[in-house]
Amino acid sequence: MSSPFSINGGACVAMVGKDCVAIACDLRLGLQALTVSNNFPKIFQYGDNVFLGLTGLATDVATVSDLFRYKVNMYRLREERHIAPTTFANLVSSSLYERRFGPYFVSPVVAGLEAKTGKPFICGFDSIGCIDFAKDFIVSGTATEQLFGMCESLWEPDLGPDELFETISQALLNAVDRDALSGWGAHVYIIEKDKVTKRLLKGRQD
Amino acid sequence: MAAMFSQNPLMNGPNYSFNDAPKVNAPEGARQHRFDPYTDNGGSTLAIAGADFTIMAGDTRHTSGYSINSRYYPKVFKIGGTTADQHDANLVLSVVGFAADGEALKERLDAICKMYRYRHGKPMSVKACAQRLSTILYQKRFFPYYVYAILGGLDEEGKGAVYSYDPVGSYEREQCRAGGAAASLIMPFLDNQVNFKNQYVPGSGEGHALQERERKPLSRNEVEVLVKDAFDGAVERHIEVGDGLQMMVITKDGIEEILLPLKKD
Amino acid sequence: MDHRPQAWGRPRDDVYGAYDASYLHDSGPKTATQSPVVTGTSVIGIKFKDGVVIAADNLASYGSLARFNNVKRLRTFLNSSVIGFGGDVSDMQYLDRLLSELAIDETYETDDTPEDDEETTKKTHLNAANLHKYLQKLLYQRRSKFDPLWNQILVAGTDGEGKPFLASVDLRGTAFSSASLATGFGSALAQPIMRRYAETDEQAAKLTREEAVAVVKECMKVLFYRDARSLDRYSIAVVTKAGVELAEEEQLEKQSWAFAERIRGYGTQNV
Repeated sequence: MSSPFSINGGACVAMVGKDCVAIACDLRLGLQALTVSNNFPKIFQYGDNVFLGLTGLATDVATVSDLFRYKVNMYRLREERHIAPTTFANLVSSSLYERRFGPYFVSPVVAGLEAKTGKPFICGFDSIGCIDFAKDFIVSGTATEQLFGMCESLWEPDLGPDELFETISQALLNAVDRDALSGWGAHVYIIEKDKVTKRLLKGRQD
Repeated sequence: MAAMFSQNPLMNGPNYSFNDAPKVNAPEGARQHRFDPYTDNGGSTLAIAGADFTIMAGDTRHTSGYSINSRYYPKVFKIGGTTADQHDANLVLSVVGFAADGEALKERLDAICKMYRYRHGKPMSVKACAQRLSTILYQKRFFPYYVYAILGGLDEEGKGAVYSYDPVGSYEREQCRAGGAAASLIMPFLDNQVNFKNQYVPGSGEGHALQERERKPLSRNEVEVLVKDAFDGAVERHIEVGDGLQMMVITKDGIEEILLPLKKD
Repeated sequence: MDHRPQAWGRPRDDVYGAYDASYLHDSGPKTATQSPVVTGTSVIGIKFKDGVVIAADNLASYGSLARFNNVKRLRTFLNSSVIGFGGDVSDMQYLDRLLSELAIDETYETDDTPEDDEETTKKTHLNAANLHKYLQKLLYQRRSKFDPLWNQILVAGTDGEGKPFLASVDLRGTAFSSASLATGFGSALAQPIMRRYAETDEQAAKLTREEAVAVVKECMKVLFYRDARSLDRYSIAVVTKAGVELAEEEQLEKQSWAFAERIRGYGTQNV
């Protein structure tokens, strides 16, 4: 319980669908067993179709999300174009590895669509930047085991945006209900070629 | 006595050897051992109660650390038949955790059920057996059986009954329960697919007006598929689960045993 | 002046530090094996068509010292089962005495009449499955008393139906069975080789005796190559319904250390 990764709690999941991706997180912020906020989103947007989910130590979630906002803005000014999801993934990886011997206690998840091709892209990282490219789904946070169980049994290839929304929502909601450190509502993003839908799920408030 | 002659700071003066030397090992008679009497042999179990049946399932892998000891080590047992082959048994026990404790527990409960049958001329009811199992586990409160047990059968009305336990005997009757290494992977799936948690009637409203999807008991076939799906998911993400899936289906006509393959990697 | 004669001439604590009397066990706990002392390494076994092959080397180590090089770690029971011991040798010898007594009791107590043929006599005797269960209960009871017998044991023979039987039991009473089994280092080095030949009982049922013996001998060689606490002299037994054939003075044959030439990168040698 004293692991920095599980002091504040939280869960995040990303999934690939047919010409779309989804990323979702819970809203809880806690101090060990005590919940201090039920409005602490863990997903951040860094372009039209690049999203980053961050779970772990809340102070690092805030720091790292700001750090990447700064880095992505600098990238856009220098390159005069938006950052691509794959490029962003490599930026996350190298930035985390810079802190190899004093890491940020976060487990990031990247989800997005390639701007030109519209190809879905998701990946996850450990806290020192090792990338996990996945064709199906990525999970992170204190509810990883529960999320793995849900995703492994609910997910299937080539889900449309609506089906993908239902799948990721059910996966997240049921997973966090079996984790004492996650829950209290959720944010779900469905990312399509030129449309991003953000939905708020109420979920159980206990 | 020692302190009286002591001149060293700790004991208040110098001390001499043997009987007067302070014992490093704390209180008299306290046992200090390096031997660890427990190991975790991995594996996972699952039980679902239906309207007129109960399905108990478990994988058949037996592990120590990263080694697979056996690909066929059953964790689900018929309990309380008149003979060793358990042909007329009415209860099923699944145990997962430390295998040697599991086996010892199974054999004790089986012997108790057999004695009950012999003395009362009728098999033990699930309810009675469930209470007895709790007592057995609690009797070893300070040197527990390191197992997560699930007991399944049919209740007095013929409905499916599942009782789940923690290692020291706290128990509860439930619709479904997953136990063991992959319990945390399987349990939320069961909440969702058996108890329809987080499922609502489409278009029934917003907020408190939302209507939960009505819970209706699943058919035997549906449950069998669910069990297989749950384990296929667990096998994919947990290294201690795999090799074989053993299922016991308890109906009024007896207990049917099904063995299905799981991934062996 | 110290007035206690007991203390005269003893080293003073303020000079030499407190005397560690923990080994004296004056009124302390009953002595129990809390860690193994003289140990045997792997035991390996594999089932075949009509029996089981089991082997263990003849070494008893004292830590990293090869202390005794003629210790027989396989023993027969009533010419129908073989038990192979890994782990503590003194506990093995205790079990050996116990089993010898049990074997004597078995031969006397069973009410077989002289007219009984050998088949009937065998049926009434403890078979390997019975013996394994007995050892499991014994070892579990001892671990529950916090006084374990520090062994991992393989039991080979035939079960009640005359089918090949091979099972393992360890110091915690954990018992399991498989087409092939290995204790200690063997579970990492020999088991993968044996599983190539007999992954399941069905596959084992197709193995001939000669094949099974060859596999086990090959495994003993691999173990000698890579297990530093092993020996090239070993015991091997073949158990079938007909009885036990035990050879206790086998020598590893056809060793080839050519592979050692090609090993690079340890210590200071890195070219």
